[in-house]
Amino acid sequence: MVCATSNPATRRYMRRFLVTMVLYALFLILAVWVFVHFRPTGPVAWLLAVLAALPIIGQIVAFGLYLGEEKDEFMRNLQIQSMLWGIGATLSVTVVWGFLESFVHLHRMDLILVYPLYCILTGISYGMLQLRYR
Amino acid sequence: MKNRLRVLRAEREWSQADLAERLEVSRQSVNAIETGKYDPSLPLAFKLARLFGTTIEAIFSDENQ
Repeated sequence: MVCATSNPATRRYMRRFLVTMVLYALFLILAVWVFVHFRPTGPVAWLLAVLAALPIIGQIVAFGLYLGEEKDEFMRNLQIQSMLWGIGATLSVTVVWGFLESFVHLHRMDLILVYPLYCILTGISYGMLQLRYR
Repeated sequence: MKNRLRVLRAEREWSQADLAERLEVSRQSVNAIETGKYDPSLPLAFKLARLFGTTIEAIFSDENQ
């Protein structure tokens, strides 16, 4: 959830983030197209599925690089705090959801939603922390 | 931690943005330090002291003292 300032570390992060988003769109389209037209199985299916996930891992790496490169310690602290709140909130939501799935047969949560959920919750945390430090 | 940043800044007629530029941090960082919401690390405190030509103790003081 990097957005507040426009220092070199932020600009590098945004560039990397955009690259991962473009790759994500391309890999996802490719994977869906191949699965629809050729219905691959075995190692090819595994490879295509993992290929679509790689840019998401790239986004996590890009954020890690940003934290290492950010020279503004307060902004770095803000990002780390929001990330920790995001992780905590995501784990809380998913563990409660998991028990609800087991005991009251709530609709099964698709694991692919965990990362977007983390991004949303981290974004909300970042906004709330921004208000606190305004 | 209490600090005299606002006074030191005013003496030099610097805005928060001016100080932020000199420290190479965001204006939000300066505001957070100035209002006591964020305590800077030692390297940043030394940088502030050098910038104002004084000591860390002359800028920051323990609230409990």
